[in-house]
Amino acid sequence: MRYWEDIDVGETTALGTRAITEAEILAFARKYDPQPFHTDPEAARRSIFGGLIASGWHTCALLMRLSVEAAQREQAAATGSPGLDSCRWLKPVRPGDVLSGRTEVLETWPSRTKPIGFVRRRVEMLNQHGEIVVAIVGVTMYRRRPVDGR
Amino acid sequence: MKYFEDVEVGETMRFGRYEVTRDEIVEYARQFDPQPFHLDEEAGRRSMFGGLIASGWHTGAMFIRMVCDSMVAEAATSGAMGFDDLKWLKPVRPGDVLSVESVVREKVEGRRPDRGIVKIESRVGNQRGEVVMSLVSLVIYLRRPAGSA
Repeated sequence: MRYWEDIDVGETTALGTRAITEAEILAFARKYDPQPFHTDPEAARRSIFGGLIASGWHTCALLMRLSVEAAQREQAAATGSPGLDSCRWLKPVRPGDVLSGRTEVLETWPSRTKPIGFVRRRVEMLNQHGEIVVAIVGVTMYRRRPVDGR
Repeated sequence: MKYFEDVEVGETMRFGRYEVTRDEIVEYARQFDPQPFHLDEEAGRRSMFGGLIASGWHTGAMFIRMVCDSMVAEAATSGAMGFDDLKWLKPVRPGDVLSVESVVREKVEGRRPDRGIVKIESRVGNQRGEVVMSLVSLVIYLRRPAGSA
């Protein structure tokens, strides 16, 4: 198990890669973000984006998926998040894009009242051209190492 | 159509009604946030949350759906640059009914002459009047085209 004590400022993690399809973009947007440039390829061509783009909330969801898989691989004692400082959708995400995630630990501090600690990270997703499509700074909670734990 | 020029700082909007179901919480979590307390009632009970709770990103997705249903049709918006200061304040559980209160905090003239940024603070509340999530969205509003009413 990887506890709060095991996480160091400056450490970086590659989060893995996944492609996004037009069908996924349409399905997410029709359920949660039905704006024409996310749900209608023809309307999207006429928009300022020049073609269908993924909902920013979909891009964030995929980045979350990559983050959760990475945390599970390293058996992190992660226990949710109180919030995010900022999130910027910097470039459109389009069908066929291949997205990869990366994170860097910016700061860590313990809770004064609970057996948990906090970790502030920058989390970014890049496309196949190396462009950052979304950049997040957010906080994650981790359990503390039990007194008799290894 | 409501353009950048028509938005006023201090304007308040109340809208939305989203019934959160257990099935939808689990379906979202399976796709995007497969942590035990989002997937399984029993694992949720054993966690610090005391029961199954929705992914915070799922709450965000439900929020943007309520925004789309009530505002986007009449507003000359073109998405958002992102958001600041998002807080997940209370767990969202099956059976919760969510709604939104939004206040325009600031208008920012951008570099581009055809659009501006409107900072909108939104609070997502549940049926008990508790705020479950808050954030400040940076919404892109188009400017009124010359010659249009």
